[in-house]
Amino acid sequence: MVVRLAGATRWYAARVVDRVAETPTATSLCFEVPGWPGHLAGQHADVRLTAEDGYQAERSYSIASAPEDPAIALTVERIDDGEVSPYLAGEVRDGDQFELRGPIGGHFTWRAQQGGPLLLVGGGSGLVPLMAMLRHRAAAGSDARTVLLVSSRTEEDILYRAELERLASDGDGLAVHHTLTRGTPQGWQGFDRRVDAEMLAQVGPPVADAPRIFVCGPTPFVEAVADVLVGMGHPPASIHAERFGPTGG
Amino acid sequence: MRLDGNALAGVLVEALGTEMTEAPRRCQSCGAVNPVGAHLLYQGAGWVLRCPACGDVALRVVSLSEQHVLTFAGEWRVETPR
Amino acid sequence: MSIVTRGFRGRRDDSAKDLPPGQYLTHDFPVLSAGPTPRIPLDRWTFTITTETGVEHEWRWDDLLALPSDSPTVDIHCVTRWSKLQTGWKGVSLDTLLEDVETAADYALVRSYGGYTTNLPLEDLLDGKAWLAYEYEGDPLEPAHGGPARLLVPHLYFWKSAKWARGIQLLIEDEPGFWENLGYHDYGDPWREQRYQGD
Repeated sequence: MVVRLAGATRWYAARVVDRVAETPTATSLCFEVPGWPGHLAGQHADVRLTAEDGYQAERSYSIASAPEDPAIALTVERIDDGEVSPYLAGEVRDGDQFELRGPIGGHFTWRAQQGGPLLLVGGGSGLVPLMAMLRHRAAAGSDARTVLLVSSRTEEDILYRAELERLASDGDGLAVHHTLTRGTPQGWQGFDRRVDAEMLAQVGPPVADAPRIFVCGPTPFVEAVADVLVGMGHPPASIHAERFGPTGG
Repeated sequence: MRLDGNALAGVLVEALGTEMTEAPRRCQSCGAVNPVGAHLLYQGAGWVLRCPACGDVALRVVSLSEQHVLTFAGEWRVETPR
Repeated sequence: MSIVTRGFRGRRDDSAKDLPPGQYLTHDFPVLSAGPTPRIPLDRWTFTITTETGVEHEWRWDDLLALPSDSPTVDIHCVTRWSKLQTGWKGVSLDTLLEDVETAADYALVRSYGGYTTNLPLEDLLDGKAWLAYEYEGDPLEPAHGGPARLLVPHLYFWKSAKWARGIQLLIEDEPGFWENLGYHDYGDPWREQRYQGD
């Protein structure tokens, strides 16, 4: 099906209206973008920064907000020595102005009307576009059976923790599972290892239910998880993968 | 580190004016059909998109000073709204 | 006209050393490539120089290691704008490899395992300007960075320093390689900022 949104070649003026410190290293920036054409959950936007002397840098960020939300939210993970992320995740103030281009993407998108069951697997900041899907799912009143499995390094690295708990307790068919790969706190109830077949079999949905699957995160994570899923019998065509890589920081 | 065709979506919309990642491509070498977004993406001086089944080159893109240059291989099916 | 972003300065290296135009200094070693990393077992590795008349000169791994080697320390400049200074390598000079090769050719097309190619004038491989390198910073060259052996031609943009080198075809006429076919420069001098054809 053709994604019927306008070709995203123009730059929109974007003004920061809110900032949320998600974790010690990640910040969400909320932008007011007059004229924004709307987006689908899973798409991303390019951000352009221009210095006073005209020097420009561009980076891509998955859109964290649902299409129904009034502001466009991007979640930026700070990369040490990065050119752009320390600025975005550290120095930005409300009212600051940027340029945004988008929305971009089509293969890695989900619309509530497509239904479920859904299996979402996110590693680190790979959770961002999946969060847009969950926020959209809630805003659209969908009760599509959905399983989210999040892999993070430590507990303090988990993005949107409280909101995920709230969404999972809404009783509308969403289950959220966490695994930590670099150490667990006292009393940790979730998993404590890299995602594997046993974990995926435990959290479901089963292969027989033919879930639509979205996997997102760093390339090694995505490829390892996709391999496990295919090994379990999920058809490759049911797996939508989005690999994140070093973008310049 | 390799990525996938999703990371090329912005360059493709800038160069060709249309979203391409859902477009299915039939590989000329192995016959596999996969959406652009599922193809594997490598970055050298420019970008190289490869068939996820056999690794053969599907697309090369370079962004020069005044233009983008793209070379395609295989059968690409792109649908754009009128 | 673009909106100026308050307080954004971007990547400015104040101790800019002596970098070619448009480059910035990096302290890591980005891995860029046109395709997946090939894995070549050393007992199957060969490097072949083929003259314009079809005469082949072939080296196997043990042959390469038996040749006199250099340990050059060089600055490298990637067309994607990063530069890395004072990198340490070990390898065999192309002067050594070309010593007994009889040729009237002016051009070289370098070929890699995996299918990559790049072209440059033959004289830019001579007179201490190029090596077939198999060690980086004292360790065997990692596959991700071009191991077992890569071409090292630091006076040109680094896309000319073909990873996973498997041979050189000597040619009477210049023939564009993988990136040059798409518009990258046939020569590629970073100091004259020759990134694209026509620069």
